[in-house]
Amino acid sequence: MTQNLAIEAKGIDKRYGHIRALHEVDISVEEGQIFGLIGANGAGKSTFIKLLVGVADANAGSLRVLGLQPKKNKRQLREQIGYMPQSPALYEDLTAAENLRFFARGHRLDNLNEKVRATLEFVQLAERANDPVSTLSGGMKQRVSLACALVHQPRLFLLDEPTAGVDLKLRAAFWEHFKQLAAEGATILVSTHQMDEANHCHRLAIISEGHIVATDTPQGLLQRGRAILHLWRGEQHEKYTLDDYPTDLPKQLQNYGLDKQVTRIEFETNSLEAIVLDLMGSGSRQAGGLD
Amino acid sequence: MEPFLRRTLSVTQRVLRQLQHDKRLIMLSLVVPVSVIYILYIFFDSLNNPFLDVNAYVFPLGAYIVHFLTFVLTAIVLVRERITETLPRMMVNGYQQLEIILGYLLAYTTLATAQSLLVLGEITWLFELEYDLATLASVYVVMWLLAMISMAMGIFVSNFARNEGQVFPFIPLVILPSIFLSGMIMSIEALPEWAQALSLLSPVYYSTEALHGLVAGNSLWEEGAAVLSLPLYGLVVLILASLTLRDKA
Repeated sequence: MTQNLAIEAKGIDKRYGHIRALHEVDISVEEGQIFGLIGANGAGKSTFIKLLVGVADANAGSLRVLGLQPKKNKRQLREQIGYMPQSPALYEDLTAAENLRFFARGHRLDNLNEKVRATLEFVQLAERANDPVSTLSGGMKQRVSLACALVHQPRLFLLDEPTAGVDLKLRAAFWEHFKQLAAEGATILVSTHQMDEANHCHRLAIISEGHIVATDTPQGLLQRGRAILHLWRGEQHEKYTLDDYPTDLPKQLQNYGLDKQVTRIEFETNSLEAIVLDLMGSGSRQAGGLD
Repeated sequence: MEPFLRRTLSVTQRVLRQLQHDKRLIMLSLVVPVSVIYILYIFFDSLNNPFLDVNAYVFPLGAYIVHFLTFVLTAIVLVRERITETLPRMMVNGYQQLEIILGYLLAYTTLATAQSLLVLGEITWLFELEYDLATLASVYVVMWLLAMISMAMGIFVSNFARNEGQVFPFIPLVILPSIFLSGMIMSIEALPEWAQALSLLSPVYYSTEALHGLVAGNSLWEEGAAVLSLPLYGLVVLILASLTLRDKA
């Protein structure tokens, strides 16, 4: 059975003047997934999310979000999505609760005050609810901003670098939130430039200079990496590079045999970060070739 | 409550809360027109020209000051909303263009009302004018209508500025020509025809026409054409503003 797609983008192009921000981007996100959009600053992550929300229009390609077209079915779509822009996008002179209440009122919500209270508790800000946003730390502002995307319990979350500038402990808490939301059936598209966050996602797209250079699961990406096999026969050290280690490793071991002289085996794999950086490099070369 | 009304009032409430927090803005918005009117008084007092009918000048000038301030304030506030991305966020969260604009108008009415009343009171007191309450109330209605138009114009213009600084070129473009084209200083009949046609584009032309009539002893009804032009003008700007207010970041 094929899963329903929460996001289906095909051949998306976006230009700002003569700058081509997105090149024929294809992305499919299944419902219930945490989908990571990974790329450096300026790679096109925010642009793509803005297209999904309908605050920017694509120059070419087809786009479906929850089965709707962001440009044509704006109102219907926006009832079902929670958007967190990259900047906090909050009223600094109002309190956290006032901000949340205001953005929540855009939607038709029963028990508004109760939902505001519960959402602030969910992002662990209940104690600071009545403090002006200007007095909160950067991480707290991010949490208020996240709360504004959560409060109406949408089906799809579009979160643009929610963990940027957030300390390690809070980042872990954010990812706990996201996993909890996904477990409850929501779909989450989250952009980040921090590689270590890739492991939290069900699927990833690596974006570089407007090109999608790879789409895979974190495990799938890891398997694309090179591995180095170290073998010791007593003092003698041998080193083999494996391009596709899950299939190459058995072959290498069969070739050399595990005789009794082999005293030690070490296996060194590329980190996800190294693999992603490598893929981004190939994206830059591709972009260089096109422009 | 109707969703339209609920969201409009929600914007009003939010903007009022912000105004409440920004005491400095409130003070400046009140102190500035009061100071300018005082300078105006000194100016006319020093002219000491017995043939000059000061009454014909002061109300249109007072209305013009409120027009200037409300226009600039609204334009800058809306540009700031776009820069900080709260405007696109508001729209993604379900607020519609017209609801945002009406919400702002309702909220800033409080400020415009306070400004108009203060200016009106100060002019009457400084220039020792002796108009009956009905005339003063009519003058107030005209000033208030002009202030509403100014806000809608500010919101409309905010679409064309990417930062606060870019609002400033619109001041000479939108605000300054009104001084010469509205009949505030000299009758527009003396102007060439093409310039008279331009006058019709300035909202201050209609308010000045109406105020001249009121000062001459006419009632609001008798000045119906000019007075009605103001809400009509406002409606056109309001429609323009709500059609153009972009959610694009």
